[in-house]
Amino acid sequence: MFLHFRKSLVFGTTVGVVGVALLIGLLFKLVAADFSSERAERNVTTHLDQLVDTIESTASVACFAKDAQLAKELVNGVIKNIEVARVTITADGVPLAKAERPAASTRGSGLITTLPTLKRTLMSPFDATKAVGEISLEPNYQHMEHAITEQVRFVGLLLAVQLVVIAVAVMGVVFWVVVRPIKAMSDRLHRMNATAGEQLAIPARHENNEIGRLALDINGLANKLVLALRDEHQLRLQREMEERKYRGIFENADSGIFIVDRSGRLTSWNHSFSRLTALPTDAAKAPPLWELPWREPDMITTLIDSCLVDDSTREDDFELLLGAEASCWLHIAASPIGPETVQGIVSDVTTRKRAETSAREMAVTDPLTGLGNRPALEQHLLESIRAEEPFALMIADLDGFKRINDAMGFPIGDQILVIAATRLQDCLKHSDWLARAGSDEFAIILPGIGTVEAASRIGERVLDALGRPYDIPDAPALLGASIGISLYPRDGGDLPTLLRNSELAVDRARAAGGRNCQFFDAQMVEAAAQRRRLEADLRHAIVRNEFRLYYQPIIDLASHRMIGAEALIRWQHPQRGLVPPDEFIPLAEETGFVIELGLWVVEEACRQLALWRADGLDLYLSLNVSARQIPDSLPLSLLLDISGRHGIPPSALALEITEGVLMADATQGIAWLSAVRSVGFRTYLDDFGTGYSSLSYLKRFPMNVVKIDKSFVRDMGEDSSDRALVSAIIAMTRSLGLAVVAEGVETTAQLGLLRGMGCNYGQGYYFSRPLPAAEIPAARARIDAAG
Amino acid sequence: MILAGLFLSAPACADLVVIAHPKSGAEQLSKEQVVNIFLGRFRQFPSGIAAEPIDQAATSSEKAVFYQRLVGKELAEINAYWARLVFSGRTQPPRQAASAAQVLEMVAANPGAIGYIERPKNESRVKIVFDVEK
Repeated sequence: MFLHFRKSLVFGTTVGVVGVALLIGLLFKLVAADFSSERAERNVTTHLDQLVDTIESTASVACFAKDAQLAKELVNGVIKNIEVARVTITADGVPLAKAERPAASTRGSGLITTLPTLKRTLMSPFDATKAVGEISLEPNYQHMEHAITEQVRFVGLLLAVQLVVIAVAVMGVVFWVVVRPIKAMSDRLHRMNATAGEQLAIPARHENNEIGRLALDINGLANKLVLALRDEHQLRLQREMEERKYRGIFENADSGIFIVDRSGRLTSWNHSFSRLTALPTDAAKAPPLWELPWREPDMITTLIDSCLVDDSTREDDFELLLGAEASCWLHIAASPIGPETVQGIVSDVTTRKRAETSAREMAVTDPLTGLGNRPALEQHLLESIRAEEPFALMIADLDGFKRINDAMGFPIGDQILVIAATRLQDCLKHSDWLARAGSDEFAIILPGIGTVEAASRIGERVLDALGRPYDIPDAPALLGASIGISLYPRDGGDLPTLLRNSELAVDRARAAGGRNCQFFDAQMVEAAAQRRRLEADLRHAIVRNEFRLYYQPIIDLASHRMIGAEALIRWQHPQRGLVPPDEFIPLAEETGFVIELGLWVVEEACRQLALWRADGLDLYLSLNVSARQIPDSLPLSLLLDISGRHGIPPSALALEITEGVLMADATQGIAWLSAVRSVGFRTYLDDFGTGYSSLSYLKRFPMNVVKIDKSFVRDMGEDSSDRALVSAIIAMTRSLGLAVVAEGVETTAQLGLLRGMGCNYGQGYYFSRPLPAAEIPAARARIDAAG
Repeated sequence: MILAGLFLSAPACADLVVIAHPKSGAEQLSKEQVVNIFLGRFRQFPSGIAAEPIDQAATSSEKAVFYQRLVGKELAEINAYWARLVFSGRTQPPRQAASAAQVLEMVAANPGAIGYIERPKNESRVKIVFDVEK
């Protein structure tokens, strides 16, 4: 690239230099003309002065001597000087000699200012104080002007030559020193490939000056630009990589990804989105997002709108219909990515959604029977209460279910429950609502039932349905039901009250022996409160020493002698008087207080026995042991410890257990019985015949004595079948080598029969009611004497 | 030589006078008149008679003393003065006598002559017109 010469640095600089030089020259010329004329004048004056000096003495001689000839000689000589135009010598006022330049003009062109004619007084050669004449010289103006003009012209010429030389020199210098290196750098820059690492060479001999610096600066700048370019390139590569990466993620993502504008128009989506929503692959046919077969298309629109309005991510689950029956659940998380654009991430949550639904159903459903569970019951009750329509809440409890469940195992128990549930459903209306409220407890909400009569009819039906035999293969069972009913709103206006009241009614039904239906009444609340008070009192009874042991004699029927007694507990309540065991033993069993009470009984019995034995009264005592005490709360070591402390041999103590003890945990029960019997304690099976009295128990369990329940003995006189039963029990136990105690002997006839059957021992009012310890010696004496 | 002469004649030149012919018409001349006559400016006695000055010999001590006392110049200067006039002018230097006696003779013989000598004793041919005092 070549610059137009007129625009080049050389031209510019030269023009500048020449211009400035011309200007200066012009000024200089003006000044020089002035200066020259001034100098010329000065020169002329000096020259004329010197001329006069030269001739002065001679002139003064001529004047002194008034020698015109000499004066003439002098002026002729002076006039020969070109600078002199006219010369006159006068002596004493008389012209002595005069000379004049022929062509001398008097005045010039005005170039020279007025110059006075030089005059000098001539003094006498012999007396310096005496003037003898005068010499006057007039300068030659023409010559002076000429000289000045010449001089000025010469100066001008000199200047012109200088200018030319300077201009050429400046051009040369600028060209060589500035333009050439710059041009070289410029040419190099045009060819240079900075990105390939090429650098601008510093022009020779310019290493340390501005051009060198410029080259370094250009290199520095080029380096920076190259670095910036490289960074930019790197960034672009990275961006492309990211773009490809995200494109890959977008296309291959398992989640559906879509981009939608505010109107719902789909602008972009990936394969997974097409797959999840069964969207046609042809982009042109894509319907707006809300036109997909959502179950609730409005919800989609709302999601997109709220996401844009709040400028935040919104997510929710949506059901998409696939054909007539099928549907799937899609989770959509929508995030705004622009003012009118939303990006959505879609995942299939059908499985989770189904699981949730299932879990929700599970949470309120009893998996065994498929009925509602307790939370469902409460929920349903709340809804019923909220409806403020009368209804009845019936609770049905299977009597003895626990016992069967324990004895026969859970599978049998479960079958019974399923059967019970089915039977209940069969005898209910469609509008009635059935739930399994506890293990063997069913609850029924009977809408529209507001009276005792109506509820009662249904209660009877339920009792009948649950009371029928359960035909389970290999384990047929017969259970009753205890039913409690409360009525809304009569018996309670809120959920806890209604539930409690129904439970209280069930308790009443159960207490009444089961297989009956009870309605809640206000007394039940009072009874429950009383029970709570009793429970509190019970806890303090031992400390307050309110328990008493009564002893009922046991008689050897053959010899009619009192051989022992059963220790029976009584509670001497400070306000209520003597509380019968029926009222507090079940409570003690329930609360676990029976463990503490049992120990007290052993302790007290041993103490009393020791007293009697000290008095020579040879008796043994049988003590009732609760199922709760076996095996850990009354271990053998403790029994030996207490009896040993009172000096009572194990043979003087008999431990009575019921069948229930053995049915709860037969293995542990047998181990305990074997242990106590091995050290000499006797073991009695109490209340035989009332429960599952199985003769096989007698064989399996390490028992010494069987006590026949008083109900059999009581009815023995009238009922021949009972008599046969008692007879059979006695015969059987005897054949197994066990002794038999008949309880509840009240009449002579009973005694006779029992004796006839070979019963070993008897106990009952016929002999003696339970007595305080103090009365036992007298009783024994009376009984023995009667024999 | 000159110095020796000066030394030798100095006491003798103690009393120089300008003498003129008694018929010159001049009784007494001023110093300026003497200068004008001897140095060629105005060679005329007040009576109108042209004056002819006469120098003593160039080497004489009288001449040197005379000019020294008259215009305060050395002889060399006086000679230089005359040299300029003699070369290109018309004015001539005084005539030169060979001795003081000749000066006396020439003045006594010529009414226009004027010269300087040692003050003469009993000389009536010339008349003293100027006493060259110190």
